[in-house]
Amino acid sequence: MSAVIERHLDLTRHDVRSRRRRLGLVVSICFLFVGAVVVMAIFGPLLAPQDPQAQHLALVSADPSSAHWLGTDALGRDVFSRVIVGARTAFFGPLVIALGSFTLGNVLGLLAGYHGGRVDALIMRWVDLMWSIPTLLVVIVVAGAIGASYWWAVALLVILTVPFDTRVVRGATLEQVPRPYVEAAKTLGVPGRWIVVRHIWPNISSIAIANTFLVFASSLVALAGLSFLGLGVSPGTPDWGLMLSENETLLFANPIATIVPGVMIALTATAMNLVGDWLDESLAGRGATR
Amino acid sequence: MSERGTLILTLIGRRLIALVALVVIVSLGVFSLLYLAPGNAVDVLLGHRPRTPATVRALTDQYHLNKPFLDQYWIWLEHAARLNFGSSTQTSLPVSEEIRSRLPTSLFLGVYAFILVVVIGVGVGALAAMRRGGLLDRLVVGVSVVSVSTPSFVAGVVLLYVFAVRLGWFPVFGAGSGFAGTLAHLTLPAVTLAAAGTAFVVKHTRAAFLGVLDQDHVVFAKARGLSATRIFFAYLLRNAVIPIVTISGVMLSSLIVGAVLVEVTFSVQGLGQLLVQSANAKDIPMLQCISLLIAVVILVANLLADIVYLLVDPRIVLGRR
Amino acid sequence: MTDTAGNALEVVDLRIDRVREGRLEAIVSGVNLAVARGESVGIVGESGSGKSMTARAITGLLPRGLSASGEIRYRNRNLLDLTERAWRGVRGTEIGLILQDPFTMLNPVLRCASILGESLRTQRRLDRNARRAEVLRRLAEVGIHDPAAADRYPFQLSGGMRQRVGIAAALARDPEILIADEPSTALDVTTQRETLSLIKQIQATRGMGLVLITHDLRVAFAMCDRIYVLYAGTVVEVGKPAELDAEPLHPYTQGLLLSEPPLDHRVATMFSIPGAVPNPDAVTNRCPFVDRCQWATEICSNGPVSLSTIEGDRQSACVRLPAIRAELAAVRRQAVAGAAPRQPDRLTSRLIDVRAVSKEFVHSGRTTHRALDEVSLSVGENECVGLVGESGSGKTTLARLLVGLERASAGTITIDGVDATDWSALGRADLRKLRGSVQIIFQDPYSSLDPMRSIGWTIAEAITTRSRRARNVGQRVADLLSEVGLPQSYAELRPVALSGGMRQRVAIARALATEPRLLVCDEPVSALDVSVQAQILNLIRRLHVDRGLGYLFITHDLSIVRQVSDYLYVMHRGRVVESGPTEQVLDGPKDPYTVDLLKSVPRADQSWLTSSPPGHVASSGALTRKE
Repeated sequence: MSAVIERHLDLTRHDVRSRRRRLGLVVSICFLFVGAVVVMAIFGPLLAPQDPQAQHLALVSADPSSAHWLGTDALGRDVFSRVIVGARTAFFGPLVIALGSFTLGNVLGLLAGYHGGRVDALIMRWVDLMWSIPTLLVVIVVAGAIGASYWWAVALLVILTVPFDTRVVRGATLEQVPRPYVEAAKTLGVPGRWIVVRHIWPNISSIAIANTFLVFASSLVALAGLSFLGLGVSPGTPDWGLMLSENETLLFANPIATIVPGVMIALTATAMNLVGDWLDESLAGRGATR
Repeated sequence: MSERGTLILTLIGRRLIALVALVVIVSLGVFSLLYLAPGNAVDVLLGHRPRTPATVRALTDQYHLNKPFLDQYWIWLEHAARLNFGSSTQTSLPVSEEIRSRLPTSLFLGVYAFILVVVIGVGVGALAAMRRGGLLDRLVVGVSVVSVSTPSFVAGVVLLYVFAVRLGWFPVFGAGSGFAGTLAHLTLPAVTLAAAGTAFVVKHTRAAFLGVLDQDHVVFAKARGLSATRIFFAYLLRNAVIPIVTISGVMLSSLIVGAVLVEVTFSVQGLGQLLVQSANAKDIPMLQCISLLIAVVILVANLLADIVYLLVDPRIVLGRR
Repeated sequence: MTDTAGNALEVVDLRIDRVREGRLEAIVSGVNLAVARGESVGIVGESGSGKSMTARAITGLLPRGLSASGEIRYRNRNLLDLTERAWRGVRGTEIGLILQDPFTMLNPVLRCASILGESLRTQRRLDRNARRAEVLRRLAEVGIHDPAAADRYPFQLSGGMRQRVGIAAALARDPEILIADEPSTALDVTTQRETLSLIKQIQATRGMGLVLITHDLRVAFAMCDRIYVLYAGTVVEVGKPAELDAEPLHPYTQGLLLSEPPLDHRVATMFSIPGAVPNPDAVTNRCPFVDRCQWATEICSNGPVSLSTIEGDRQSACVRLPAIRAELAAVRRQAVAGAAPRQPDRLTSRLIDVRAVSKEFVHSGRTTHRALDEVSLSVGENECVGLVGESGSGKTTLARLLVGLERASAGTITIDGVDATDWSALGRADLRKLRGSVQIIFQDPYSSLDPMRSIGWTIAEAITTRSRRARNVGQRVADLLSEVGLPQSYAELRPVALSGGMRQRVAIARALATEPRLLVCDEPVSALDVSVQAQILNLIRRLHVDRGLGYLFITHDLSIVRQVSDYLYVMHRGRVVESGPTEQVLDGPKDPYTVDLLKSVPRADQSWLTSSPPGHVASSGALTRKE
């Protein structure tokens, strides 16, 4: 009998639909781009050809030239160097937000989904409340009250983003909890914490991780937006959002100075979103979630 | 129908009560901003004006600063109900006047953008889903991702550059006067504002339609030879609308946020720009008023979305299987 | 071959392929069938046979990514050539289709009257009253006489009612041919018979052709004039029910027949076909059954097989038939040989003692649902007890109570001397004892195992949870695997690589890790193909003999419960309505529900549908949802 069974090793009714999409051209480019941004963020000052803060008052609002590849801004600062160094604030703040929200959101989501009952009701009420709050506006108002700063904004955004992660993770957890493999673990006597960590989490991790990339992208946009409004980084800091607003007046003189930082924001966010979507689809084959 | 009717009314009633409660909670938070700010409440309210015993006394009287916290809150709430939020610390003019003068502009912008979003968003999303996998679909998905990722202030600047600076089709800033003038001035901002919202709606509409297209009841409808029109309206649209309505609350929030950024980008004298100005200048009374206003708008809009959802899906009220 | 002139529908060399990544994967490879006017034809097959796709192809409703080739002749046209627009004139008007799942078949946002109204012919412009009258007339045709039903939404009706509405809608334009794709599979056993009987009656009244698609050969026998047996995309046998029942002419057909054990006596060993149903794409160049057939030789793998006429109308695709015909019959005789039933000795100590247990579920603060109502039941050491009931009977709730996944609202449960009514109140030692006494096997093998973990890991976890400092875990895993009939190399595999039957074996191995004395089996074979079911049943029986493992076997299938249990409880709507030694209960039922249940088991003859109407406990016109 086992000989016959051996022959049927790969014959299953639910065919193994390999959802693992090959690393397409677009996604590869996204990875490369993000990699470049990371490099710029970490090694910014080393890579910039000129001092981003140095003002060349003779060459104010100049067009791109061989000396200044992207021209200069209203204070004569080299735009290209500022763009490179600006990757810092575009990367680290969102990174902290994404990771912080991921950690807290996963813990809360798993708790709410697995235990249900009062704990879940409480957490969900809070999530629902935060769901309709426009994050950026809250940060603007609070910044208006207590004074604006980049890292305060980051801290506030972490708190405001946790509900979104929580909701996603809770939803995924709720799908798993009634499944027989979880119930079998319960009847065997596997402790709750082990079930959550070793059974449920690996099966929902793809959703949680893909979501983090999307959170990163939206945090990047939010922080850049705050700086654009003057409520983020302090004036003078090389930051894509701030540059966008500082140089808006230069649209007639040196439009590159304002368009390039804006494009960098858009491209980085797009790249992160695409990577997140791709991860979502390619990891979806694994685990019980699809 | 009447059974369902009464159930719906009860649910709406309950939600209204919840809404009022939420508004009260938010108002408490908004009121506390005065005390969140670093420094003395008086200093904050003084703004740039010099600090003299006379002005201090005047402010203390005007804002009842020597009363206990909750008393102050209550008085503030009473005033707020009568739309009196005090005076701006920047201009010393009454807050409500400033708001009133800017409200029409923001409203125009918001409605303009909303119409664009709904018409284009749902239309394109449905079309893309019906022609799944085709050129249109792939194009739509691609553009959507980029559009969602491009913040409105970036798109705004780019559009401003292309259409206003280079091509000169639209004015560069301001809100214009008269209907035609306003329309012309606010087109670029409205389009920018609509861009991200549209992408969001397209994505969800497409997903909603795709979800419905695969369902058994659609197959059964085709199997009975029903016309394409009937299937589209009674089967696809009717069922796809349900998930779309549920995201409309989020869409509205993002529209409001976007409006703030867009107004700043295009120098439109609306409430959003006022909000940012007030935040930069720490004009607490102004911030309080605008925050409360926005909070009420969002809560009411969410309530409306909930009501539409109740009406559209018979399973909610009458019980799921 | 049948006379072409009398045929309403003819399918010639139908092939259905899936286009995937540039190549074509076969789903159906060359099906031929014919339906004469007023004839009812059955297509019988298990999963992966392609039967549903064939139905879809005939109505032009193949899902995206699938394409059909060949001919489907209806009224001198090849339907496969039709444009979508032309199809609209055929679907519903000429050929009707009923889908399998009544719970998803009807538009949830429309009332039943609208669903029926939209299906009526559009040529006749009816005014409101006339339309309403027509809708009510159609509903009456399917046995719904209460006009209020027309104003309900589908979700307010029971499954059986929904299926009736679906049938009425499918027939609204009076098609010549009705294709019913597993019309009763998603329904309760008792409702199944009603639904099938209704379809048969309507067919007779209207003189319609019927194509019935099912996985249950006996249902096809009762309903159809001619049967096509489909396996892995190929038709392997054609014949009349009586002839097929008397002597199947293909090893698969016979295997299928024997896989569902008889209701009226116990067999010595339950028959199953080893292995699992293959992917149709993998077997296009040989006899699809070759891997599982005990008579397979080289000629079976030489090339694709086709039907050849054996005698009269009978056709078979077995190339070795003349040679093995006698052996085939011999195997059959042996398989249905009876066995003496065990006399249950109920005096053995009770391992599980359930007394007057009730369980209520509260739904979002408003409604309470009484799932169990003062149920009393017991299982002794080493005893094989069966629990029979349909959905809503409370059998699954009871199973969950026994393993601590739910808590009883009232009553007591004693397991091996420990009060197991409320597991959360027990200390560690007691919990450990309980877990070592009772374990459970779930119904769905596809989600019983953690998809991210290997088989070996899953079983090892069960072992180490039991005893933290277990030694030789690897060896014990291997031992358990071989005990359930799986090769030890499987320990490294993930569940996705195994078939449903194999996964269920793994689930059993996992349950055995705690060395339980009793196994609660909650519908362990319902989700498996019929030809594979007995593999698991035989395994459970063998474990009973080898290990002294008792079990509580929960199922809705009376034939199976006869084979595996000595004592039987029958549950209905949360109560035990009858109990006793299995043979007694099944041969001489006392409770009307049990009688009804027995009548609803498909019997392979035409009288099954028309025999005395069921003394149903719940009236068939009930609008309430079946819980």
